[in-house]
Amino acid sequence: MPIIDTDLWYRIKDGDSTALGELYDGFAGAMFSLSLEILGDRWEAEEVIQDVFSYLWRKPDAFATGKGKFSSWLLVLTRNRSIDRYRSRKRRLDRDEFDDSFGVKEDTSQSSGAEEATLSDERSHLKNAFSYLPPDQRKVLELFYFRGMNHQEISDTLELSLGTVKSRIRLGIEKLRNSLTSLRT
Amino acid sequence: MSLDSLKQQALDYSLGVLPKEESLLFEALLEQDDDARHWLAEAQEDCAKLSLTAPSRELGEEVRTRVMEHCQKPIDLGPFLACEEIQRLRDNFHAFQNRYSGGGGAVDLSDVRFSKLKDEVEGNYENLLNLFPLVAGDSRAAAGDFSNLQRILRSQGSFTDGIQKALDYDLRGQDPANRSVLRTALATMPSLSFFADRIREKQPSMGDARRLFFLCRDQLKIMRASFRDLDPARLVEDEKLRLHGAGLLQTKWWGAEHAYFSSNGKVRCGHFFDGPVTERCVEFAEYDANMYCLANLLSPRSSDGEFHLELLKDTVPGCTLAVAIAKMDQNQHDSLQMMLKGEHNLVPGFEQDQHLWTLIEDSMMRGHHCNRPEILREQQAFGCKRINGYTYLWFAWPAIPHSHDGAEAVTSNPLQ
Repeated sequence: MPIIDTDLWYRIKDGDSTALGELYDGFAGAMFSLSLEILGDRWEAEEVIQDVFSYLWRKPDAFATGKGKFSSWLLVLTRNRSIDRYRSRKRRLDRDEFDDSFGVKEDTSQSSGAEEATLSDERSHLKNAFSYLPPDQRKVLELFYFRGMNHQEISDTLELSLGTVKSRIRLGIEKLRNSLTSLRT
Repeated sequence: MSLDSLKQQALDYSLGVLPKEESLLFEALLEQDDDARHWLAEAQEDCAKLSLTAPSRELGEEVRTRVMEHCQKPIDLGPFLACEEIQRLRDNFHAFQNRYSGGGGAVDLSDVRFSKLKDEVEGNYENLLNLFPLVAGDSRAAAGDFSNLQRILRSQGSFTDGIQKALDYDLRGQDPANRSVLRTALATMPSLSFFADRIREKQPSMGDARRLFFLCRDQLKIMRASFRDLDPARLVEDEKLRLHGAGLLQTKWWGAEHAYFSSNGKVRCGHFFDGPVTERCVEFAEYDANMYCLANLLSPRSSDGEFHLELLKDTVPGCTLAVAIAKMDQNQHDSLQMMLKGEHNLVPGFEQDQHLWTLIEDSMMRGHHCNRPEILREQQAFGCKRINGYTYLWFAWPAIPHSHDGAEAVTSNPLQ
């Protein structure tokens, strides 16, 4: 994970705009990648990034140093904002309202997108570790984290008991955590 | 509480899925329990790891520029809000029992006197419908591949030519159909045609595609709101009660480039209040058209290539106030003010630019349930003012009553 010093947060809190720029340069890419993965829409993902940075600038005290790392908090905030948007869009479509795209989508199958070829070792390792999770754990984690489904919704969708859903999430997360620990040791 | 239960709570709290009452209890626990704080930090770490499994994507430079604009000092609106004109607006404005919610400016296509012009409106709408998915956030253009978009744009006629063709007709007078043609030709289209031409002819940026996306979306809605039989099925959706938040306006105007034909400049946004602005798409389309008209009047006359937009609520009780501000030379300001008053016709582009002001005037008459524009001008429901070298243009729009504020607003700014 890119190193985001908590000192940067103190400087932002003091109104130092260059610190916000430094944070953007070091970390916005990771936040944007997460948001785009959830939303699948570049313009919406860009808005999430803009909103999160604006929020941080206006209300830096929303982060508390005693309750975790600044970088983790930023990613969780980005994830939650993206999921809110994803749900809001889904609700609109579920109400049978017209999608702004009018149901006509461009065929993007030939496009490779703007995915970067280079990933940091840590990101690359995590991505591999995630892809090597047992498919049933990976599926539950995807629905939980990247689609914002709660336990009950996953249980209904995959026809699993609530206990199974929770244990698969927990096991999947533990495996990811352990895989990173092994990388560092 | 068992360890597993505490860990589960910490995870659910991090992801915002813990029920509200349990969240409050967990927050109380965080204040006094080291274990709770430890497991919250762990849960956030785990989530961060999951986050980093997302494929890495490149973020454009334009986003950085927009983000850094949040750090800029806002413009001081004090002198404007204290001026005599705005005080007069405060003294005279009153809320309406039957709030106007859009659609009043619509005509049928058959009301357009010139059959060729009618065909051109329909053709233009079809072209924009086809263009829209090519600039959406999940399009190839949004991923940096402009080849398909450029191919389609090159195969169509230039939108700029289409505007010129429309303006070649005699569209003067009070005919509502003429006004609908003018609204669809002069509000959004000049900027849309600018970006479409740039993408067609030059090496575009993703920022150009994003801007074209917003313009295309707005223009389609303005066209449907102007010609009710253009696309009746979609108009039914546009007429449904669905609050539209100020965040939608902020999203598309913040840090944007705006063009009025070949004259382009930068938009700076200041304060945009948080909350709903309009009740339906058709009303939002009308509000949007007014905002574009303000921008079109200011952007060619700004002396530094910039203009500011502000969206204020409660500064005049009962209404929202859209304000556009630009630094302007005295002679430019004087000619603008004379043109707005219709006092002379010697200004280049006079008639075309006066149409922009007429469109706002029309809309104000509907919004304020008043068929005498001179009364609205006297009350300063819309107007022009010069303060300290800056020209201010504004229009006041009846606010949605506070009882609606808690309703779900279609806003792109969930953080506020």
